[in-house]
Amino acid sequence: MDLDFSPAERAFRAEVRDWLGGHAPPPLPSMDTPEGFAAHRAWEADLAAARLSVVSWPREYGGRAASLIDWLIFEEEYWAAGCPARLTQNGIFLLGPSLMRYGTPEQRAHWLPRMATGADVWAQAWSEPEAGSDLAALTSRAEPCPGGWLLHGHKTWSSRAAFATHGFGLFRTSGARHKGLTYFMFPMTDVAVRPIAQLDGLPGFAELRFDGVFTPEPMVLGQVGEGWRIAMATTSSERGLTLRSPGRFLATAHRLVALAADADPVLADRAVRCLVEAEAYRLHTFGTARRLMAGEELGPAASMGKIFWSELDLRMHALALDLLGDRAEDWLDGFLFSLAGPIYAGTNEIQRNIVAERVLGLPR
Amino acid sequence: MNFGLSDDQRALAETVRDVLHAHCPPAALRTERRPGWKRLAELGFFGLLQPAEAGGLGLDLVDVLPALEETGRACLPGPVVETAVLAPFLLAGTPELASGAVSVGVLPPGQAYLADADLADLLVVVRDGQARLAPRARALLTPRRGVDPCRPLFEVRLSGAEALSGPVGPALERATVATAAQLIGVARELLSVTVGYARARTQFGAPIGSFQAVKHHLADVAVAVEFAAPLVYRAALTAGSDDAERDTSAAKAAAGDAATLAARVALQVHGAIGYTEELDLRFWLARAWSLSAAYGTTAAHRERLRAAIVRRSP
Repeated sequence: MDLDFSPAERAFRAEVRDWLGGHAPPPLPSMDTPEGFAAHRAWEADLAAARLSVVSWPREYGGRAASLIDWLIFEEEYWAAGCPARLTQNGIFLLGPSLMRYGTPEQRAHWLPRMATGADVWAQAWSEPEAGSDLAALTSRAEPCPGGWLLHGHKTWSSRAAFATHGFGLFRTSGARHKGLTYFMFPMTDVAVRPIAQLDGLPGFAELRFDGVFTPEPMVLGQVGEGWRIAMATTSSERGLTLRSPGRFLATAHRLVALAADADPVLADRAVRCLVEAEAYRLHTFGTARRLMAGEELGPAASMGKIFWSELDLRMHALALDLLGDRAEDWLDGFLFSLAGPIYAGTNEIQRNIVAERVLGLPR
Repeated sequence: MNFGLSDDQRALAETVRDVLHAHCPPAALRTERRPGWKRLAELGFFGLLQPAEAGGLGLDLVDVLPALEETGRACLPGPVVETAVLAPFLLAGTPELASGAVSVGVLPPGQAYLADADLADLLVVVRDGQARLAPRARALLTPRRGVDPCRPLFEVRLSGAEALSGPVGPALERATVATAAQLIGVARELLSVTVGYARARTQFGAPIGSFQAVKHHLADVAVAVEFAAPLVYRAALTAGSDDAERDTSAAKAAAGDAATLAARVALQVHGAIGYTEELDLRFWLARAWSLSAAYGTTAAHRERLRAAIVRRSP
């Protein structure tokens, strides 16, 4: 057990820091605007050209076959350098790992490199008006047709869908609650998209209506009826770790501690707690990365991390507002985004149920 | 960066756990003052951190941390941390420490009363950065009221004490980290026992553990313990470095918070039966409270942490 990075890991960190030092963009307009979307996409292409967009992926898909430890190092440097949020994150962190594990060789070869460069930008399409936390209650369906499938139904709260090129989500292929769900990818071309403004006034969400939208057969991920298992399996493997890396929270905590340097002891104590909690999340994540690299599954324990970082993020941004009062303008986007943390990717109430039932063994 | 337990760490912890399971069962906490100690001594537990020339194994603190967690999980009474962790750094060369034949009690700075003085052969009192040592036979002990029935407190007056040379800080930091590890063990046991109770106890025709209000309390404890433990392991790894003070305080505060949350939830979920002396739970509740205050209260460590971090930041 140690806290030491290897010479190779230190060299990688130095390379990333050096490259970001020369290339990190100034703050970009929100990715939920047309010009911001384009600017974020150009940044993703820059990252990909340096083989830094998906460092832990195999080389043939645009990565460096780096370890999860290296990926965590990359993330620490990325956020410490003040780089933009990742436009491609639904693709590279949600769909990508699922494709890697369940996709055919053809699917992987076609979609992963395009995802890694931002050539395709993916939106997630999980929730429906009557299926949020109870995702398996979804009713959107797919019916077979020559050469593929026709998608019908209504998805909502779909992040990035206002500008994305493609989407992915679960559709019903039979009545069985879980085993009737299939994982589909689809082009956004024929989907009716109604952008929905989020709390910041910008269309980070959209509502999607499918009125017989055609998607070809090779856009099914895994087997028909296997969608629920695929969606759940990837939440508890690498994706449980990659959803939000510690580097992001550490960078925020360091900014807060600097802000609180001259604050009264009560506020300074809150800042210090945030920093220590971000460090705890970092240490915990490095431990988890080791276990995953040794071939272990993360399992439902991923839910503990999600509760911890999302509530830490809330406390950090609430503290920033307390420290800065009406001069908190640079923190407002982060504050609003932190409020979404306990809701997306499974509400924290659902996560607590998962911890209680599947980690602790309490009855359903 | 390899932040995972080694096979050796796990194996040692399992051995200690088995020994304490057999020789320090909850029933023994009511009838014996020092259950399990003889067997731990036979195992060489008190020499783990002692150098080879003193009859020990010369391990590092981090090597024994999971085993120390087990002493917390078992609610093992007696001056365990003082004898096994603090003494090797403060009283190197004292005969019979590694064998466990001699045990040590310590009054750390900032505390009024010395815990487990009745069991200690040697007493150390630290005041103003200076440690003084005397055999218990030359000390006047006055019992004082404390929260933990298995960790009695004594006001101590030493006569003819010997001033110890060398710094006290490194030994106290390590004892603080070891106490934090015990708190993690206490918290894990409180969680485990309470989950067991919530599965078994039925109300409204269902186990109370099926109700979300109860589930969410217990999930919060699991999260608190899960993210306190890494800070404790970090503190063991950075012991003796420039970060020792900061990391020790981060560890002790987090472990204290996790254990007191575990105690609070354990009592709430057990309800009235948890509020009795008859249920063994009381020993672990008391240990969470008593160790949270040992080697610096949570508040004191938060203050030290704030000074270390805010002063150091650019």
